[in-house]
Amino acid sequence: MTDFSIKTGKMIAIYASALGVISLAVGLVEILGGWGESIPGDLFGGFVLAVMAVTYLGGVKRASHGRHEGLSFIIGGLFLTGVFGVLYLLMMGADGLMYLLGEAEALPKLADARPAIWIFILSLPLAYRVRSLTTRMTW
Amino acid sequence: MIMPEFSGDDAAAILAERRYHAIAGILETVVTKGEGKWTYTDILDHVFLHRWLGIPIFLALLWGVFQFTFALSEPFMVMIELIFGWLGGLAEDGISNPHLASFVAGGIFGGLGSVLVFVPPIFMLFLALSILEDSGYLSRAAFVMDRLMYKLGLHGRSFIPMMMGFGCTIPAIMATRSIDGEKDRMITILVSPLISCGARLPVYVLIAGALFGASYAGTVIFSIYLLGIALAIAMALIFRRTLFKGEPSPFVLELPAYSMPTARTVILHMWDRSKWFLVRAGTIIFGTVLVVWFLSAHPWEATSGGELIENSYIASLGHFLEPVFRPFGWDWMAAVALLFGFLAKEVVVGTYGILLGVDEASLGESLVSLGLFTPLTGFAFMVFVLIYVPCVATIGIVAKETNSYRWAGFVVAYLVALAFIVSGLIIGVGRLLGFS
Repeated sequence: MTDFSIKTGKMIAIYASALGVISLAVGLVEILGGWGESIPGDLFGGFVLAVMAVTYLGGVKRASHGRHEGLSFIIGGLFLTGVFGVLYLLMMGADGLMYLLGEAEALPKLADARPAIWIFILSLPLAYRVRSLTTRMTW
Repeated sequence: MIMPEFSGDDAAAILAERRYHAIAGILETVVTKGEGKWTYTDILDHVFLHRWLGIPIFLALLWGVFQFTFALSEPFMVMIELIFGWLGGLAEDGISNPHLASFVAGGIFGGLGSVLVFVPPIFMLFLALSILEDSGYLSRAAFVMDRLMYKLGLHGRSFIPMMMGFGCTIPAIMATRSIDGEKDRMITILVSPLISCGARLPVYVLIAGALFGASYAGTVIFSIYLLGIALAIAMALIFRRTLFKGEPSPFVLELPAYSMPTARTVILHMWDRSKWFLVRAGTIIFGTVLVVWFLSAHPWEATSGGELIENSYIASLGHFLEPVFRPFGWDWMAAVALLFGFLAKEVVVGTYGILLGVDEASLGESLVSLGLFTPLTGFAFMVFVLIYVPCVATIGIVAKETNSYRWAGFVVAYLVALAFIVSGLIIGVGRLLGFS
């Protein structure tokens, strides 16, 4: 017995696997000291991405079988992605404010965006799909 | 029929278990479940309370809270610095009486201003914690930590007062009344001051911001908070095995359903928890800062109106205390700041503001340029501030809650000893690794 269709589950599982693998790769690079200017070295930032990745990947198998247990991990991963994506966006906004106050040399550029922001943007289609799947749920 | 014999704690656990079993039985007969098998709360709890992922997720969110606190409050701190700098300049230029000008510019704007600059990070910290609490996550954090704490022989409920200690240690110690077992309660009271309260945040923000830069300050502050939790757990374990032997009593926690926090309640909670800082700034911090200013500007002739601080009363006091802290690489100013920090931790920052005689914007810069701290000695100083004596009000509440001045004295003694040991270890290991 499944909680939602296996076809939907497989689609969600593939997308979540991709997000999980990307998060894990970027997280490991951050933990190991970064790569150029695009991925900064950040031990705890990398740890957060690794936790996010494990959360996504932990639900892939059961989500592909159409089970709520799997979906819960993917929603947990999406939640973490959202929290940290928005956090880094706010931090970029704060950097912009620092520039306006004369405390920074330049406005933050798109290239300064942390990888977690890009992962957050990548996760939005999945979040939309999962949201439509769970609309009838209650808190 | 043979009646089993239970200890008081076992009986409480068995009663709670039977009660919930009976509730489940009644619900099964009277409640018809809707078509959705799972609610959002079920779904989220499945992952947030997960055996292996629960604690890493909690740590990740806690790190996020400190990134949020530090990075987002920075521009607002700069704005307040600009305002106080402007007011200080206005006072120096506009007041003809040199005594009064020194008092207003150095004492009020220099000392109190350097503390008020930290209103934004305190408000941001409580904004983030209020969101976590109103969403229902904070009680889950206590639940996931309970597993770890129970394995260490500690009481799970102890973690709730500890988490309240992020705000202020006083309500955290008062909240230990909810702990049933007297031994568990005593252990929690004794270790609660190790959880970093909001009053210590200005010290961390100042020193971590100056020494580690904006990119790493949040992570450094997070590590100090983690160290506080780790030390609290370690000390609780030591107390459990020495002073309060026995098994921890069982922990029953009802988890509320998750809910979307509303802006109104989050802001109200944030205000409720943060306003104490403004109240303290206007009372105990203001009073202490004035004493520090008086001691730093007098004898008036010898200090040339507060210009030659080395000739002041406070410098004499600092030089007297300095030998105790010299092995840590801290000078007499640090000794004085720590001494007055006993009254309220924020005063550590206010004291530096007065002693260095610079505006708020330059305070962190001066700590570095004058060579008062290196990253190693600065980190050890933050750890010392984390551990050493709690503020006067906390000691009072320990005496009240334990009904004993001896326990209050014990808390002071063990925390001071622990502060010297841990900071000394950090300095020693750091120097062995080649840090200066």
